Amino acid sequence: MDYLDLPLLELHKALVNKEVTPFDLAKEALNRAHRDENNAFEYLCDEEALSFAKTLTEPEEDNVLWGIPYFAKDNFSTKDIPTCASSDILSGYVPVYDATVIELLRDKKAVLLGKTTLDELAMGGTGMTGHLGITYNPFDPSKERMVGGSSCGSAASVAASIVPFALGSDTGDSVRKPASLAGLVGFKPTWGRISRYGLFPFAPSLDHVAYFSRDVISSALILDVLAGRDEKDATSSFVPVEKYEENIGKPIKGMKVGIIKEVYDSLSNQATKKHFDSAIEALKNSGVEIKEISLGHDLMESLYATYFVISCAEATSNNANLDGIKFGPYRAGNSYEEVMNKARTQGFSELIKRRFVIGSYCLMKENQDELFLRAQKNRAKIVDEVNKALKEVDFLIAMAAPGIAPKFTQKSDKLSREYLIADNHLCIGNFAGLPSITIPLYLENDMPVGINFTGRAFEEKELFQIAAALEKETGLAGLSAKNKKEGNL
Amino acid sequence: MKEVNKEVLVDAASRLLFSMEEREYDTLLEEFKILKIQMEKIGKIEGLDEYPPMTFPFPCEVDFLREDVPSKPLSRDEALRNAGSKQDNQIKLPKVVK
Repeated sequence: MDYLDLPLLELHKALVNKEVTPFDLAKEALNRAHRDENNAFEYLCDEEALSFAKTLTEPEEDNVLWGIPYFAKDNFSTKDIPTCASSDILSGYVPVYDATVIELLRDKKAVLLGKTTLDELAMGGTGMTGHLGITYNPFDPSKERMVGGSSCGSAASVAASIVPFALGSDTGDSVRKPASLAGLVGFKPTWGRISRYGLFPFAPSLDHVAYFSRDVISSALILDVLAGRDEKDATSSFVPVEKYEENIGKPIKGMKVGIIKEVYDSLSNQATKKHFDSAIEALKNSGVEIKEISLGHDLMESLYATYFVISCAEATSNNANLDGIKFGPYRAGNSYEEVMNKARTQGFSELIKRRFVIGSYCLMKENQDELFLRAQKNRAKIVDEVNKALKEVDFLIAMAAPGIAPKFTQKSDKLSREYLIADNHLCIGNFAGLPSITIPLYLENDMPVGINFTGRAFEEKELFQIAAALEKETGLAGLSAKNKKEGNL
Repeated sequence: MKEVNKEVLVDAASRLLFSMEEREYDTLLEEFKILKIQMEKIGKIEGLDEYPPMTFPFPCEVDFLREDVPSKPLSRDEALRNAGSKQDNQIKLPKVVK
């Protein structure tokens, strides 16, 4: 096994023991990235990465990210590194500042190797809509199946063992769903736990910094670095940070987990149900108390529309600054409206324009009460019900997706219960701002499927504890397309 | 609620300062057929007027003033780096008042 296939902690040990250097690691990772066939990258910064890695000569034993290579989704601002959020409207844009998370990782001497592809402006869940075309799932050599999105390139880069972790963003499920399809641990924290300064906004009331790794403990260790109040982000939290890996390995006996009944009922794939049942049995055997939680079918069927209305409306207004004047290719015209119109017409893809029009329609004076405000009120009701449930149990559990990654040609029935609930329920975590983690549960025909836990606000430590306990049962820690495993459940 | 028709969508696109082709409007009208049924799912939920519209997951009130800490602002070159049209250290645009 190569060093890049190792879990973060083992890789750290190898660096500390000087078996491998940050420079060698960065070089090997960049070699793999240049050979990538999944269309995972917008930009590789070989020169910057290698010259920084070269300066890292004295290992820091108490710093697990020292010399670790990583990628960031191309919607994080990175000083002097081109950043376009996979959209032509930002072609050629070179940020003049670093996002806070990029700064924090540099302070820890993690090595940024480049930027990954995404669904354009992070608006999408298929990995098919970025301006460089489709990003593929490394688990599927036939290139017929999605890796999911919007953080598609970051997911592909970790699943292909190019790096041990990668940054993404999660507005509806954009890390936790691709984690399911690509056999990864995908984590988003409580809203406000990680600064969003420098993350291009899509829908700020729902946006979270999130990330992929190949095991739960890595995810906890990364949060140790990224969590905390940031003066530059007024929505970042003052709640004290913790040592998030502290509870991993401790018994989970007595913890209470609620199965979301409506998600389970809406699954049509019997194999998915069978593996989910096995996970529940494993938790029971560890002394976890299991309870069924019903949030109501009508309410659960309204999740998708609520998310769609709120996110499109927020996106419409947040992206008004993409005008071809301050950013993006300038196209001359006789008036500033003409300049903007040319830039926006040519810069946005068809899908993005349609989403903006939908957002604008929901915000029209005549529609605002019935669509936008009603969606916001429904969000409040959903959050109320979820928080009530989390008074009865410590975590909610559900399949992160109804099954293995869909084929690009597969058409979903967008009015089916499975689509509206099982395929789109993870936005609950964004509505309520709750910490949520997906881990691999099983593989079917060599394609992975993940399971998701959502916990109470600011209880990430406990979330990692239970997720790591189930991970131990699955035997799928460290899974990647290069290191496929059978799994125990 | 405003009826969804091409005229309404063209108006929305023009307010958003972009243009769309005929076939894009056709696709969008088709999408709206599904969307409206999905949106009706929210309409079915009872008792929503008891809830205030939720704009953030948690209240995030900041009731203090930040310390004034001197910091280095962007240089003029940095501030103008991404503007495609500039002249004499300013962003250049067509005349607004004609």
